[in-house]
Amino acid sequence: MNIIIFYIISSITVLSCLSVVFSSNPVHSVLFLIFTFFNVAVLFLLSNAEFLAMTLIIVYVGAVAVLFLFVVMMLNINEVLIKEGFLKYFPFGLLLITVFLLELFFVFKDITLKNTVSSKMNITKLLDKGNNNTESIGMFLYTDFFIVFQISGFLLLVAMIGAIVLAKSENPNIKSQKIIYQKSLDKKKVIKLK
Amino acid sequence: MDFFNYFFLSSIIFSIGFLGIFINRKNIITILMSIELMLLAANINFVGFSNVLDDLYGQIFALFILVVAAAEAAIGLAILIIFFNKSGTISVDFINKLKG
Repeated sequence: MNIIIFYIISSITVLSCLSVVFSSNPVHSVLFLIFTFFNVAVLFLLSNAEFLAMTLIIVYVGAVAVLFLFVVMMLNINEVLIKEGFLKYFPFGLLLITVFLLELFFVFKDITLKNTVSSKMNITKLLDKGNNNTESIGMFLYTDFFIVFQISGFLLLVAMIGAIVLAKSENPNIKSQKIIYQKSLDKKKVIKLK
Repeated sequence: MDFFNYFFLSSIIFSIGFLGIFINRKNIITILMSIELMLLAANINFVGFSNVLDDLYGQIFALFILVVAAAEAAIGLAILIIFFNKSGTISVDFINKLKG
C-alpha cells in the first residue's frame, strides 16, 4: 500500500517539477514549486521523517517560496522575451542530462547497500526506547552535531546581514538614519526654547 | 522500501533542475528555482537513504542542507534585485559587466 502511494506522489512531483522549468509565466513557476514542496513533504512523511517534512513546509513554502513570489511580482518581466533561445540550448541540455543519468546508472547498476555505521543512531532502536522522530533529532543535533549547528546558525546570520546590505538603496528621497551625523550633533544647539 | 525508488526519483528531479538552468536563458528567477529543485533532490536522497539504512544521520544532514538552501535563496534574490535596479533586465545574456 505504501509503495503505491509513493509511486503516485512521486509521479505528481516529477510532473510539477517539469511545469516549474517549462512554464513561461514565472508566477506559475513559483506556484508549481510550492506544489512540488508539498508533495515532497508527503514523501518525507512516508519515509518516517516527520520533523523534516514539517520543517520543509515551514522553511520552503513559508519562507523561500514566498520570497520568490515577492521578487517575481516586484520585477516587471516581459513574458514574450522569456522563451527566446529555448531551441538553441534545449538539445545541449538534453545531451548533458542523458550523459549524467547514464553515468549514474552505470555506477549504481549493481551496488548493494550495507549499514556499516555504528548503531547509535538506529531509528528503530530509538523508536523502541520511546523517543519520537523530533526528540531523537534534537538529542543528536544538540550534542554530537553542536558545532555544526552553531556554524549553520552563523551562516544564516551572515546571509541575513548580506541580504540587508545588498538590498539597501542609496536613494536620497528615502529617509534613513545617518548615525555619524546623528552622533555629531550637539544637544544644546539643536533644541531651542522659544 | 527499496533504495532504488528514492534514487530514481531524486536523479530525475536533479536532471530536471539541471535542464532548467540550460533552457531558461532569459530569466534568472527560474534558474534560482531550478537550483532549489536540485537541492531538494539532494534532500530526497538523504532522507530516503536514511530510511533504507535505518539511520538518523541522513535526516540531520538534510536539515543542514535546508539551512544552506534558505541562505542561498535570500542572497541570490538580493543580488537579483540590485542587478535589476541597475540594468533593467534579468536576462543572463546581458550579464557581461565583468567581460568574462
